[in-house]
Amino acid sequence: MRTTDLFDNYLNQSLTAEEKVNFEQQLTSEPALNKAFKEHKQLIAALQDHSKREDLKEALTTIHAKEFASGAKIIPVNSDNFRKGFGRTAAIAATTALIAVLSTIALLSAGGYLLKQQNTQLSELNRKVLKLEASSDAIIENITKPKVVYAPANLEGSAFALNNKGYIITSYHMVKGADSIFIQNNLTQRTLTRLVLTDPTLDLADLKIYDANKVLNWQVPFSLKEKATEVGEKVFTLGYPRQDMVYGEGSLSSLSGYSNDTTMYQVSIPVNPGNSGGPLLDDNGNIIGVIRGKLTSSEATGFAVKAHEIIKSFKSIGADSTKQELLAQGKKVSLKNMKRSEQIKKINPYVFNVLVYKKD
Amino acid sequence: MSKTKVQFTDDQFIDGLRTGSNEILTALYKKYYNLVLKFIVNNSGSEQAAQDIYQETMIVLYENVQKPAFALNCQLQTYVYSVAKRLWLKQLKKNGKTFLFKDDIENELVDVSEDINDHLNKETDIEKMNKSLSELGEPCGTLIKDFYVNRLSMDDIAEKFGYTNADNAKNQKYKCLQRLKKYFFEHEITSIETEKEKNENDRFI
Repeated sequence: MRTTDLFDNYLNQSLTAEEKVNFEQQLTSEPALNKAFKEHKQLIAALQDHSKREDLKEALTTIHAKEFASGAKIIPVNSDNFRKGFGRTAAIAATTALIAVLSTIALLSAGGYLLKQQNTQLSELNRKVLKLEASSDAIIENITKPKVVYAPANLEGSAFALNNKGYIITSYHMVKGADSIFIQNNLTQRTLTRLVLTDPTLDLADLKIYDANKVLNWQVPFSLKEKATEVGEKVFTLGYPRQDMVYGEGSLSSLSGYSNDTTMYQVSIPVNPGNSGGPLLDDNGNIIGVIRGKLTSSEATGFAVKAHEIIKSFKSIGADSTKQELLAQGKKVSLKNMKRSEQIKKINPYVFNVLVYKKD
Repeated sequence: MSKTKVQFTDDQFIDGLRTGSNEILTALYKKYYNLVLKFIVNNSGSEQAAQDIYQETMIVLYENVQKPAFALNCQLQTYVYSVAKRLWLKQLKKNGKTFLFKDDIENELVDVSEDINDHLNKETDIEKMNKSLSELGEPCGTLIKDFYVNRLSMDDIAEKFGYTNADNAKNQKYKCLQRLKKYFFEHEITSIETEKEKNENDRFI
């Protein structure tokens, strides 16, 4: 056995009791061996510390980029931040500005995400954000507030508040493999969320807003409806197929969804890329489902995961505080017997645009 | 509806750092960044310098918390602030600058010199290792790390690196380790300071 192997085995405590005693005796009687052993220990410790330090640095740099560079904080581009750390963001800002001048057309991909590999009929409705996208809003923002620049998200879609505790529901296919997930709307500034729960079979994801201050005054006016909804009922949805919220209405056309999946409703609402994860509401403003996808062959056939399937999914998780919080639905404001436009005013603050960032 | 902000206590931060919780690390990082940023910027540092100092501060805290004997005898905020201040002072001195600090909480400093010294001593070896590993090159670097850090068995290593058997892998590991050792002890204390000097790109007013 080589001396270094002996050292390693001693340090790993894989020597027998006898070998161990022998080795320790040798250490005291042979100064050269003792010195070599000390050096070996120092070398290995340095190696392990080095690795740990590198991992930690990487983690901290990632946190910084996520929390302070890529969105949570406003970065003044024209200051001396234009350096190693923020160079990338600044470069993106420059690109965005350039393209804003060249193009006023928002380029949206046609939601080519396919749910089932063997069948291409159902496309899910995330909005793949091309690098070249620059809506007119973004241009105006660039002109009026040239210092505020966010890196473009890899994927955008819709989401809505589950309850007053800051829980948000969206589609799983949106956030799958996400590095960080932000939400925003007209009233809530871009804020970071964390993934709390996923249920891929229902294409369901549950997020929670990190900053509890953001939800202090929340009064979510709707909740998931436990009872099934009947065919023919009027339904509507709100979502972010583009930067502003878009309303869509229709009726519930079937109690089963794509390929007779009974966890979904079929609705006659024109849905577009970006609607994924948005709420499906009934006339009284109850959430009856979550928009999941549409038929690629038809513009006005959408599918939504049933609300009571979601409640069932929440109930199936083991008893812990998260489960309690997810099921807490108390609503104080009722949307019943309200004009639609009044309902929307109440709902508006609790429907969000989701911005998903992925590594590469 | 509770109005309490989701916040961790100092003890929860320390426990979280010990168990390596990424959530805690993120929350901690967010919590005191602005405090340190403000201090550095108020004392002739750039935002980039603040980020660097803050990162090092987090490393000092993280490493010291891992010691079984570590006990926080002040508020975590005071500890973080004290470490950041000491590190910034050291940086400024190295650049031949002396400053009267503009402090917000001047009298709320604790003595963190021991923790910082431990960190700096470790730093010396880590810098040497960094240099030695880059001289060592691949596949040796990965092989050594797979054995000593990731704790892969010799069989796994043989398979990963395409050696015919564990004994060959073991020979290879031995050769790599001997080279690493040579580089590491050749360097001794040499270039650490100069290396840092080179990376120095902070602007001082």
